[in-house]
Amino acid sequence: MIVPLNSLRPGERGIVADIRGGPTARQKLVGMGLTPGATIQIIEAHNYGPIIISVGGVRFAIGRRMAAKVLVRKL
Amino acid sequence: MAMKVVALAGNPNVGKTTIFNALTGLRQHVGNWPGVTVEKKEGVLEYKGQKFLVVDLPGTYSLTAHSIDELVARDFLLKGSADVVVNVVDATALMRNLFLTMEILEMGLNNVVIALSKVDLAEKHGVEINVKRMEETLGVPVVPVNAKEGIGLDELKEAIYGMANGMLAERPVVPRYDPEVEREIEHIIGVLKNTPLAEKYSLRWLAIKLLQRDDGVIKLVLRYLGSDKLDEIMGHIAEVEERYKRAMDLIIASQKYEFIDNLMHRFVRYTKTEGTSFSDQLDGILTHPVYGLIALFGVFYLLFKFVFAFGLPLQEALDGAFSAFGEWLAPYIANETLRGLIVDGIIAGVGSVLSFFPLVFLLFFALSILEDVGYMARAAVVMERIMRKFGLPGKSFIPLVLAFGCNVPAVMAARTLDDERDRLVTMLINPLIPCSARLSVISFLAAAFFAGSQALVAVSIYATAILMALLMAFLLSRFVVKGEESPFIIELPEYLVPSWKTVILHSWERSKEFIKKAGTIILLGSIVIWYLSNYPVPIGIGESYAERLGMFFEPYMELMGLDWKAAVSLLFGIIAKENVISTYGIIYGSEEAIVGAMTPLQAYVLAMVTTLYVPCIATIGAIRAESNWKWAAFAVVYMIALASIVGIIIWNVGSALGY
Repeated sequence: MIVPLNSLRPGERGIVADIRGGPTARQKLVGMGLTPGATIQIIEAHNYGPIIISVGGVRFAIGRRMAAKVLVRKL
Repeated sequence: MAMKVVALAGNPNVGKTTIFNALTGLRQHVGNWPGVTVEKKEGVLEYKGQKFLVVDLPGTYSLTAHSIDELVARDFLLKGSADVVVNVVDATALMRNLFLTMEILEMGLNNVVIALSKVDLAEKHGVEINVKRMEETLGVPVVPVNAKEGIGLDELKEAIYGMANGMLAERPVVPRYDPEVEREIEHIIGVLKNTPLAEKYSLRWLAIKLLQRDDGVIKLVLRYLGSDKLDEIMGHIAEVEERYKRAMDLIIASQKYEFIDNLMHRFVRYTKTEGTSFSDQLDGILTHPVYGLIALFGVFYLLFKFVFAFGLPLQEALDGAFSAFGEWLAPYIANETLRGLIVDGIIAGVGSVLSFFPLVFLLFFALSILEDVGYMARAAVVMERIMRKFGLPGKSFIPLVLAFGCNVPAVMAARTLDDERDRLVTMLINPLIPCSARLSVISFLAAAFFAGSQALVAVSIYATAILMALLMAFLLSRFVVKGEESPFIIELPEYLVPSWKTVILHSWERSKEFIKKAGTIILLGSIVIWYLSNYPVPIGIGESYAERLGMFFEPYMELMGLDWKAAVSLLFGIIAKENVISTYGIIYGSEEAIVGAMTPLQAYVLAMVTTLYVPCIATIGAIRAESNWKWAAFAVVYMIALASIVGIIIWNVGSALGY
């Protein structure tokens, strides 16, 4: 099932399937390791504001709107 | 003989700065890259009698042409400006760091040395790296380095020396992509082969960048090929994308990661899986919307407590030292005019600003520690939730906090924002945050006119100023500064014990610029003020140029219930805001006379206007240096307008209410 990253709950994991949005944002994410095929785990997600994720052993805070553009295959 | 150039490249937070400091010691210099406000750090490394110029490139995740940082780093590498490229690779995030390494190698460079940092930390996480195998696999020298403890530095210097003098040869590995992508690369190389581009650049790199639709490279190729051939190439790319049903830049990125993953299997061994670490648990609290905010207030309360507890006595001592120096010097200067200029103009003017140096240094010192520990990224996350509503990113919280100490370093600190628009807005509203010089004006007036409720008065002025800053941020980001909202993503680095050497060097570098400003802009301003207040006759009689200027503005000042004396004071406050009170002192002769001359409402208006109007010269200069004259002028104009509006409202409402 392919869903936007911001719909996952803490502890859930997904594999990046595609990234929407402009090339600037996309390539920024890719350089940081959020690339198609990468496994993302949600560490924390509160009701509003950035969510905390872990990719390749590194933790990031990612804005909700940005996270909505990252499509993942839920594991 | 010209010095050989060593470029340091790597991701942010990999320990690049620590390595840079370890290589160059105190022999370094900070400036800006020509034309942009990206920090340019250079230093000299001497090894075996040979001198190297070490250039610290901006930390970047990749070398696409999207941010200025990336562009600066890429252009530097692409132009072949470096004799040796030291790529700092963080062992705890190997895959992602090697992504940048591959981008560098793909440029066709064969003078790369990898400095592998944080190996001990990686081992703690259960990641074991066979350095020798890594070297063989990547085809470039790999030197494990722990700069903080001085491990591996000699080996790194030896590798740099060897590479610079042709004693080391390498055969760097470059990523291979799917046959379909490779075919496309071959095709583009074929088209580019007989152009002058072939002599300057790696054609494979150009081809890959064209596939990624890199703006800079498209423009470059357009110049040499013309639009027909370029269109044909781009048409091809669109076909491949159609088949993959995905953007080409994503295809290339994921295949590059796959390639790296395959390489890593040859030299990395995972000994245990990760559980929840201390960092994770701490993050749960520090990035939490509620607890995180409480922690943030606690941290910054302690920070200011620390800065003021140590800084204020030093500031007073320094201030006293400058006036003592002036008094000591005065009898030695026979010429009265010269004595006035030097003692009352230059020493008093520059001294009053320089005395803030301890505060500025301590503030940077404390913030560098927080930065090094890894806290700043968490603070940005907590503030992101709040500040985004006002059109500002969470990261601009740091420059705004700095501004409570002094606006000058705060404006400079806006550099750390990677988006041009965010940077401008942050810089433009920064001077609205009351700095410690304005604190002295506010507390003087509050104490003199509002005995008993001075804290309330001071807080109301601070609150108004902060509110105005947020309001202006909202308006500016919506209507004035162009550009789209930047996406928010920030790495949360592992919590680390700071390297004291780095912290001290860093705070010194930043506060040094403050001294430089005092030596130039403020020096000039002090001389002008001194002249205006002493010619044709000294201030106090009503005939000096300064007073005449003040009287010219009197009709305007009356709108907010103030007189020409306020105009003169505010005018002098542009040099440094604490001058507002000292000028009143000069005009009236004594503190009691000031208290007798104004009503509390007038004093309140004066305090408010002092807080909101034109930033001091040093701040205007900083805004100009970080952007241009146009924005500096804009800041001046909008702040005068804002201060006038607020002043007029308070005066009229206050009068109507009978205060």
